[in-house]
Amino acid sequence: MSAQKKRNFKIEAFKHRVELDPNYAERTWRVLEHAIHEIYNHNASGLSFEELYRNAYNMVLHKYGEKLYSGLVNTMTGHLKEIARSIEAAQGGFFLEELNVKWGDHNKALQMIRDILMYMDRTFVPSNHKTPVHELGLNLWRDNIIHSSKIQTRLLDMLLDLIHRERTGEVINRGLMRNITKMLMDLGSSVYQEDFEKPFLGVSASFYSVESQQLIECCDCGEYLRKAERRLNEEIERVSHYLDVKSEVKITSVVEGEMIANHMQRLVHMENSGLVSMLVDDKYEDLSRMYNLFRRVPDGLSTIKDVMTSHLRETGKQLVSDPEKLKDPVDFVQHLLDEKDKYDKIIRKAFNNDKTFQNALNSSFEYFINLNNRSPEFISLYVDDKLRKGLKGVSEEDVEVVLDKVMMLFRYLQEKDVFEKYYKQHLAKRLLSGKSVSDDTERSMIVKLKTECGYQFTSKLEGMFTDMKTSIDTMQGFYSSQYSEIGDGPTLAVQVLTTGSWPTQPSAPCNLPAEILVICEKFRTFYLGTHTGRRLTWQTNMGTADIKATFGKGQKHELNVSTYQMCILMLYNSTDQLTYREIEQATEIPPSDLKRCLQSLACVKGKNVLRKEPMSKDIAEDDAFYFNDKFMSKFFKVKIGTVAAQKESEPEKQETRQRVEEDRKPQIEAAIVRIMKSRRVLDHNTIVTEVTSQLQSRFLPNPVIIKKRIESLIEREFLERDKADRKLYRYLA
Amino acid sequence: MASRRGRIRFNVGGKIFETTATTLANAGRHSMLGALLDDSWNPRQPVEGEAADAEYFIDRNPACFAVLLDLLRTGELHVPPNMPEKLLNREALFYGLLDQVRAARWGPFDGNRLQLVDSVSGRAPGDGTAIRAGPDGGCCVAHGSMVHVYDWMLEEHRPISLDYQQVNDVGYIDAESIVISARERLGKGDGGMGVFSSSTGELRHRFRVSHDNQVKSFTAGALSLGSSDYKIFASCKGRCNEYGIGVWDQITGQQVDFFYEPPGCSLGDADKLQWLDGDKCLMVATLFPRTDNCFIGLLDFRDKSVNWSWSDAGTSVSLSLDEKRVLHAIAIEDSRSICVVNQYDDLGFIDLRSNAGGVRWSSRSKLTNRKAPNEESCYPKLATHNGQLFSSMNDGISVFCGPEWVLTSTLRRSYGGSICDFSIGGDRLFALHSEENVFDVWETPPSLTI
Repeated sequence: MSAQKKRNFKIEAFKHRVELDPNYAERTWRVLEHAIHEIYNHNASGLSFEELYRNAYNMVLHKYGEKLYSGLVNTMTGHLKEIARSIEAAQGGFFLEELNVKWGDHNKALQMIRDILMYMDRTFVPSNHKTPVHELGLNLWRDNIIHSSKIQTRLLDMLLDLIHRERTGEVINRGLMRNITKMLMDLGSSVYQEDFEKPFLGVSASFYSVESQQLIECCDCGEYLRKAERRLNEEIERVSHYLDVKSEVKITSVVEGEMIANHMQRLVHMENSGLVSMLVDDKYEDLSRMYNLFRRVPDGLSTIKDVMTSHLRETGKQLVSDPEKLKDPVDFVQHLLDEKDKYDKIIRKAFNNDKTFQNALNSSFEYFINLNNRSPEFISLYVDDKLRKGLKGVSEEDVEVVLDKVMMLFRYLQEKDVFEKYYKQHLAKRLLSGKSVSDDTERSMIVKLKTECGYQFTSKLEGMFTDMKTSIDTMQGFYSSQYSEIGDGPTLAVQVLTTGSWPTQPSAPCNLPAEILVICEKFRTFYLGTHTGRRLTWQTNMGTADIKATFGKGQKHELNVSTYQMCILMLYNSTDQLTYREIEQATEIPPSDLKRCLQSLACVKGKNVLRKEPMSKDIAEDDAFYFNDKFMSKFFKVKIGTVAAQKESEPEKQETRQRVEEDRKPQIEAAIVRIMKSRRVLDHNTIVTEVTSQLQSRFLPNPVIIKKRIESLIEREFLERDKADRKLYRYLA
Repeated sequence: MASRRGRIRFNVGGKIFETTATTLANAGRHSMLGALLDDSWNPRQPVEGEAADAEYFIDRNPACFAVLLDLLRTGELHVPPNMPEKLLNREALFYGLLDQVRAARWGPFDGNRLQLVDSVSGRAPGDGTAIRAGPDGGCCVAHGSMVHVYDWMLEEHRPISLDYQQVNDVGYIDAESIVISARERLGKGDGGMGVFSSSTGELRHRFRVSHDNQVKSFTAGALSLGSSDYKIFASCKGRCNEYGIGVWDQITGQQVDFFYEPPGCSLGDADKLQWLDGDKCLMVATLFPRTDNCFIGLLDFRDKSVNWSWSDAGTSVSLSLDEKRVLHAIAIEDSRSICVVNQYDDLGFIDLRSNAGGVRWSSRSKLTNRKAPNEESCYPKLATHNGQLFSSMNDGISVFCGPEWVLTSTLRRSYGGSICDFSIGGDRLFALHSEENVFDVWETPPSLTI
């Protein structure tokens, strides 16, 4: 060591900092630039990825990132300009092919360039806020190719022309189309939208505007809708094949607007093929198509709904006011039910069970059923008909179906109390004459009414059933206790009816024959013996009797007659001839009923057990009646019905109506008192609306009647007018 | 050049490695190794037999390559003791494997399994303002008018300098962007809030406050970054009593709302803002010593109302020395309560379900040895993470778990003085000491597959 020191050997420091070869950056870049050229020229096989990556890494590491990045931009731009020239040079149809091929090349090259410059992408690009290599490549392609003036318009025209050709039936290369639109999407949604989608939508709008104009002139509604639907499906298919999924909403809205919304009114009202004729002819397929197409545009469904509603109301109005139809109530109701079924089916099959359509249907029915104030009566008659005979041999489920349909009509009725009145009458007749087909069905109907209108509505109807049942028990008790005393006299069947539950009119009882009176008295003592404190009155106008009669040649018949008729015939046990006045005196049957009875006994062919002098159709007060010796019938049992209209006659109708009005009064008054009790002070209009809303489940009260009831309540000092404000009423507790 | 059996041979800096295509697939296509093996760089399939001899040459450090290849094979990172971390990170960056290295380095955060992995000393003297954890494992430390930024490798980036404006609070929008709120200096018209790049430290955006369409200068205090709807909340003090909470959009940077301070609630001076995702409202806490009367409230911005509030204004009638002051607060949404801490490091809870309820203190004094009276201490801070509650106290951090908040762990280090602030994020916990400018990094070791 010391020797060396002596030699005074000195190691000098380098005079300058260690520097890289000044040409280093330039040289490295040349290598990379060359590689980029080779990649674009499909000549990359000779390149070493490791070497290129290392070179790019070193450039970034030695702070030449900026040089590398700007070099990349310049080189790539140069190549893209060259590509643009070759695309521009492509002839006609090869233009798109060339563009597609070059786009594929560029993507592949871009991928490889990005691989080489990966390190720059990771470090230099984010910290210097540069665009990453891949995005840069797309942006340069967009600026140099797609937005080049010679390519931009040509590309757009070409795409739109191809789509137009496909619309007119030609087959185009969809794969190529898909690649090109995919390229536009890859370049960013704004490129796709601005450079393709917007013009595409514009061209489509004018195309469909022209086409729809032509179609509507020459096609009927169904045909037009079929074509519109096909166009719509074509566009959806087009989107799925080669456009962006987001375009679907836009292009369909263009087609919808041009083909449907613009012609909506004309289509719906088209003569002989529009909505009304579709409804009339039950064209489910066309209706369904119309529904599905119109649903797509604003106000589409409401247009259909409005037209359907007005058509329904029109036809319904004709139906309920047609005097022909009014002759047969059963037929009338059946028509209503058929109409309802028809539209239910249309809504179910074609209108997708749309709630708003169902509501429209219901409101239309409600509207026109109540146009005819006999609807409640007719519906009750329809039920009566079904329950008397119509449902024989029909399974229980089908019965339920019929009843449910009737209930549906019932729901539309505003005057439900009128229905109740008639239903009670008809039910009473059925029960008393034993004509009801099935007890179960009757009860099922009552249950339905109960669920619909509540306990109050049906309590009397149920009372009627209870009466029938207790009557059977009473009669059994009567006969078992009195069996020995009765002997072989006439048999009596009594139905004890609670006053109030049944629609009976007080009528003076007629004079019963002595034979009957005896047993009636026995029953009276028996009944009052078991039920003290009750009163029995005989409703002779409602009973029936089976009597045995022997005629001239000894032939015997059993006659099924009403109580009145029985009374008349019993008179002939002692004589063969009686005048009208004699009969009237002996029986004390009310004249109108007597005339009807005599008419059915003497004037109906095949059932004329009496003979009238003089022979005529009508009964006069000075007629004479003879026992008809020559009565003949091939049946042993002969049923002699009373001549009576099933439908109510005009005066009866008036009477029923009056009774209904009478019944409503206490209901209205009760409602007023209920309301006033809770509110204490209220003005007139509010009372009227509240009363209406409380009672509308049963009937629609008339405001004039409400006013009268209020006045009556004021008279009776339930209410008073406010002293200061005459419009206000006060409740007096 | 994949051989028949999918074997691949590398020559890295002269050392031969053999591995399989399956192992290398773990690197991903967007790594150097993925690109190297991609078909576009290997256009022709080699003739069979030739394949066995072919190898890829990479001019890099073989030792580091061995570690990284092992990471690709097993998903675990084992660094030999003699290999500097910087070296490994540099090599990982070259291969594009830095994300894999980061993911293998530490596991999901668990307060009871934390290990001290590093203590980083800064240049500034002690007394930092705040430390905030970034979403990727980095952090930033505010000192006076400077914010020092560290990435997840704990490499310091260029510091953010605010030209002598006092920094009040900082927060991360994402790993790349930091929001800083600063105090306005008299007569300068500066202050306010800005977004800075965490890598370069440059200003990207300044948040403005306008009242009646006039842009005003202001002092921004506490910050809160709503995670679900990309909003930034800040307590603001304007010149003309425009106190309240400003709201900005993280993406557009525009002011979207301003909640003016209603009487009785001090919002402009708030110490702590916290966005509650479940309730869609903001917790605002203004605490001692900034005010004499602590106020905590929940603000609903939809109808500009204070949903819930608590204040000790009424209760502190007897100003005894032993009075418990609320010094920090944090809302715990899961248990519907707000946790507070006082000067004796006692934890207290306020029920969010009832208005005007009191603080339920749970004394901790017995559990911990009280600090020596002459030692300089810092105000305690609170934080929550995944149902665990953290509370700083002197030179340690306590971890509480379970519905009863039982003390389960204590994190303590011997030097640096007491902890003035700490923050949890990116699966790490950072604790800043007040006496020396040192911050500790705690992380959960990766769970090894056995």
